[in-house]
Amino acid sequence: MSEHTTQTATPILSVRQLKKHYGGKKPLFGPAPNPLRAVDGISFDVIEGETFGIVGESGCGKTTLGRCIARALEPTDGQMLYRPKDEKEPVDLARLKGKALRPYRLDVQMIFQDPISSLNPRMTLLDIIGEPMIVNGLAKGAEVKRRVGELLERVGLRADHMSRYPHAFSGGQRQRIGIARALALNPRVIVCDEPVSALDVSVQAQILNLLQDLQTEQNLTYLFIAHDLGVVEYLCDRVAVMYVGEIVELSDTERLFDKPLHPYTEALMSAVPEANPYSVRQPKILEGDLANAVNRPDGCHFHPRCSYCVNRCRTEEPQLRELEPGRWVRCHRAEELSLSGASDTLVEGVEA
Amino acid sequence: MTQMVDERVANMPPPADAAEGVSNRIISPTRLMWWKFKKHKLAVASGIFLILAYLATIFAGFVSPYDPASRSNNLYAPPQGIHFKDAEGNFHLQPFVYGYEMTRDLDTLRPVYTTDTDEIYPLRLFVQGESYRLFGLFDADIHLFGVEDGYVHLAGTDDFGRDMLSRLVYGAQISLSVGIISVLLSLVLGLVIGGISGLYGGMIDSFIQRVIEAIIAIPTIPLWLGLAAAVPRDWPPVYQYFAILAVLSLISWTSTARVARGRFLALREQDFVTAAKVYGASQPRIIRKHLVPNLMSYVIVTLTLAVPNIIIGETALSFLGVGLKPPTVSWGVLLQEAQSVQIVQFYPWIWIGPALCVILVVLAFNFVGDGARDAADPFSR
Repeated sequence: MSEHTTQTATPILSVRQLKKHYGGKKPLFGPAPNPLRAVDGISFDVIEGETFGIVGESGCGKTTLGRCIARALEPTDGQMLYRPKDEKEPVDLARLKGKALRPYRLDVQMIFQDPISSLNPRMTLLDIIGEPMIVNGLAKGAEVKRRVGELLERVGLRADHMSRYPHAFSGGQRQRIGIARALALNPRVIVCDEPVSALDVSVQAQILNLLQDLQTEQNLTYLFIAHDLGVVEYLCDRVAVMYVGEIVELSDTERLFDKPLHPYTEALMSAVPEANPYSVRQPKILEGDLANAVNRPDGCHFHPRCSYCVNRCRTEEPQLRELEPGRWVRCHRAEELSLSGASDTLVEGVEA
Repeated sequence: MTQMVDERVANMPPPADAAEGVSNRIISPTRLMWWKFKKHKLAVASGIFLILAYLATIFAGFVSPYDPASRSNNLYAPPQGIHFKDAEGNFHLQPFVYGYEMTRDLDTLRPVYTTDTDEIYPLRLFVQGESYRLFGLFDADIHLFGVEDGYVHLAGTDDFGRDMLSRLVYGAQISLSVGIISVLLSLVLGLVIGGISGLYGGMIDSFIQRVIEAIIAIPTIPLWLGLAAAVPRDWPPVYQYFAILAVLSLISWTSTARVARGRFLALREQDFVTAAKVYGASQPRIIRKHLVPNLMSYVIVTLTLAVPNIIIGETALSFLGVGLKPPTVSWGVLLQEAQSVQIVQFYPWIWIGPALCVILVVLAFNFVGDGARDAADPFSR
């Protein structure tokens, strides 16, 4: 597998064959069980300043992938080549540990899904947002206070909120606090793990706009994990679609939504509810559950749920290949199939 | 007035996602818990009762009218009633007690007491009486209440004519402090062992959990009996006291350890801990700043609910004769008297007093623990 990029720009982060397996250790007696392959050999490049989306069903491994990249988890195998600001040579974040990793931790931060559990209920906002600076020796005393005030204002809260506790804030406000904490270290890459899925739709839009504004102000790179395709279409430059720990399709957002190449992507898009009362489209409802990440089906992992499945799919595992420049797909029949994207169904609906 | 304002703020709906929607009061989580606790009236009442009980044990010499060891001529005397009206129907502003008149039942040789309405001993506050040492430091002889001449035995006397009320107050010193100290011991043990178990997981966790299960599986009373019987008989009372303490905490730490482990396991997975890891906080810092503060409220609740068990444990051991021994006074030691059928039948005040004390204190601790549990539960409204 080679570079999955179209742009000639040098990537800020290159993930290569990243794996995170759970279990599978040989017990005292008997054979070793199959490991749970939460992330199994994922490769992609992220360009500085872009928003790279990762979508998939619950349990497909997208959160595990994000946590590996932020190094909240230690990857089992693979590389994560990160290009620091002033250095030419990339460093492999997957291999570093402890002290050696610390300087790069500043550059990769994380925003979480759950606005309740992501903030320590026993700390004031000053402590919550100030702690990253204190831990990394970036500021002390009054300086911390000043910068926390600035950060709060930048995310749309008031500086005098800093002596309050998280329970005094609503979900959207808490998410802003989480964003302020992530910004406290002036990171370059932020892993956003479904940052708006727990919020009301009206609040979602505010948070997404805030994220966009911050991106342009500070030239941030986002790794945006989501299952809401509408949010992904709105925010992301490129999207990777994940299924049981693997990327099944990777493309720029526009072409992906226009004409997906993988049957799974098509099914995801047809599941998006439509605000068009005249639409007569038939959603392609996937049968069965997400494949078991411990015992995956032979051949293409998606074949038991795929309506385009042929014999080859049952036996031969497809590889991720570049079908068009910048469009990667893991499907034997990608050339022959003509799948409908999100805008297709919309056009059909209008005509009907 | 301030309380009303507090309640209004507590009942306010969460503000909308706008910076100006936030009220101007700063409310810490501890404060929120205190408000929730205050709504539990029974818990508050029990809390006040316990505070008074502990105050009484600290000032035992002052509260009790006599020394617990000083004997009088009134053996097996029943409790005296407090009166305001005398036999002639005259009303006295100052409450008083009547004296006793003792006769012997010639068949059984049992002392039989009748009240002597001619002897009137008015009760006074802050009277001079037997001298005692306050906190083991200051000599004093002022008692909270008493009579100037004559005698007052509001809870009766025992076989040596010792005042039961004074013995109950002094007994509380041991019985109540055993609960607190041994619970603090098990707090330390439970937090450390449970913390290690929850934080490191894997083999260490399995090992610690199996050990805890083994300890819990042993029936408590026989184990306590065995351990307490191993305490040398000729040790001075203070050593024996601490030995019994250690025996009692040896078992009670297991429940604290389980709670601590469970909370550590749950908190470890919280996103704010992941966030701390991602911005590079060290493991000790995460434990100190993020895990322990979030765990304390739960631990305090388990501890409050553990105190009654310890108190009952001490009582049981002393009752069975392997705990503390006379002349040390504890409620369990006092209850030993109930082993004699004669006392159960003819002199019930000797055992009803300590039994009532144990029941009230245990109930009060349970109510306080209940209230604290509700207050610490983030999901209760």
